[in-house]
Amino acid sequence: MLEQVMNQYNEAVMDTDRDQALLVVRDALALGVTPEEVVFNIVVPAIELMMKAISEEQGVTLAQHFMAAQIASEVVDDMVPRFRKAPESVGTVIIGTSQGDFHGLGKRIVSGCLKAMMVEVTDLGLNVAPERFVDEALAHDAQVIAISSMMVHTAQGENGCRRVRQILKERGLERRIRIAVGGAPYRFDPELYRNVGADAWAENGITAGRVITGLIREVRP
Amino acid sequence: MMTGMQRLTAAINGTLADRIPVFCNLLDQGARELGLPLEEYYRSGELVAEAQLRMRAKYGYDCLWSLFYVGKEAELLGCSRMIYAKDGPPNVGEMIIKKYDDIARLQVPDDIASHPAFAEELKCLRILKAEAGGRYPICAYLTASMTMPSLLMGMEKWLQMLMMGPHDLRDELLAKCSDFFRKQIAAYRAAGADVLVYSNPFGSTDVIPRRFFDELSLPWMERDLGPGGTAGVVYYCGSARFNKVIDAVIRRLGIGVYYLSPMDDIAEGKRLVAGRGLTCGVINDIMLLHWSATEIRAEVKRMIAAGKPGGKFLFGTLVMPYNIPEENIRTMLEAAYEFGRFETP
Repeated sequence: MLEQVMNQYNEAVMDTDRDQALLVVRDALALGVTPEEVVFNIVVPAIELMMKAISEEQGVTLAQHFMAAQIASEVVDDMVPRFRKAPESVGTVIIGTSQGDFHGLGKRIVSGCLKAMMVEVTDLGLNVAPERFVDEALAHDAQVIAISSMMVHTAQGENGCRRVRQILKERGLERRIRIAVGGAPYRFDPELYRNVGADAWAENGITAGRVITGLIREVRP
Repeated sequence: MMTGMQRLTAAINGTLADRIPVFCNLLDQGARELGLPLEEYYRSGELVAEAQLRMRAKYGYDCLWSLFYVGKEAELLGCSRMIYAKDGPPNVGEMIIKKYDDIARLQVPDDIASHPAFAEELKCLRILKAEAGGRYPICAYLTASMTMPSLLMGMEKWLQMLMMGPHDLRDELLAKCSDFFRKQIAAYRAAGADVLVYSNPFGSTDVIPRRFFDELSLPWMERDLGPGGTAGVVYYCGSARFNKVIDAVIRRLGIGVYYLSPMDDIAEGKRLVAGRGLTCGVINDIMLLHWSATEIRAEVKRMIAAGKPGGKFLFGTLVMPYNIPEENIRTMLEAAYEFGRFETP
């Protein structure tokens, strides 16, 4: 039965049909599927399937990324309080756009995916100062700082990732905290992430989930 | 020597020219050209026109731009705050639509040409027309109704409304943006713009699924362009690919120029346009920040080899970041002039 539900959910997500996806979940719960199974056997595999579709260049659109993350986030918010015991957190991420950048779509997609993957996300919003990224990472004991930039000058500017890297270095935090970046300039220059001092980059908001959980595993004891 | 307008006309008509047209959008670089901070530069239409004329003469490309920065359109609809950077385009600093109620309050100006936020661009256009009209095509940039809400409420909220509704408010907003577009394109034409770059990332199936493209994008594009027609209009989806919709756009809208994404396959794009218009191969100009001269020449050569055979092709740039070294701009353009040359019979 789970496989059938998963297929129906996937179909609704790929069709960007939020109402249908939520209906599939509701019907599944009524049939006895547990909230844990909804998250780990339906929602997370749907995201992984989308990652696969993206990597195979099956023509997945930005709107589908957005809706997959949006639906996943809504379902997880609804399911987790119903878990028999609180889920174990995979890790903690601080996310925001670089200073001077006011484009929030990418980080919203990333946050939705991470939430489904049981990563705790603190969203600092838009136009975030580099010092704040680091201060908040320390305050939340985060393993990863994720910086989204949609413009070339905010991606490679001195108050973006470069400065975050410098602060981590100055404070001796590089072993504890990793930096992930994403946004259009990185897609057009796949080596840019190295030049700005990031540890990794993600081509889109959905695959960012895999990249960021990989970074968490590198530093989490 | 031929002018940019002669080269463009020859490319459109498929007649003989010395080389393919080369379009280049140096916007923020105008401030550096005049030794000014960006904010001061963009305050004056005279300064923008002076820098555009100077840079065109200096580098030799075939067009002139009247565009200041993309957020300018939000100013025409009431945005009063732009956030300037010292090395990149300004950002819209205030979303006019913060909540759905704001959509009802959104006012489309009756007369764009007399709107204070258009005054400097109008000055710029008039100077460009007086100095170079008829010799070099003057380009204007317009955002399609499907994309305009991103500048008014942010891409994130717009995508949410587009995909999840409420659909009545979505359509009310689109209608206002489309009304605005119609007035804006008429104002640009009246002021002498020859090339009207119609920017619509939502006209790409990288951004929205094909069903949304067919059911929403195409009808709204038809509404945008219906009254004024498509003369001089260039189809452009930002950096998003659009080869998959070229045929539908030609058949439904009849647009004559296709400004591809750097990620599009140029040869395939040209095959899809199939002589029904011009195809523009667009360089991934972010790489100009650090490519060597050899790499730049190789890429320009590759692109032109894919698009030039049979003509009806031009070479173009995408975002041209402020910090591209001047020598790399020259290398790219000189390679485009060299590899884009047609052999005389």
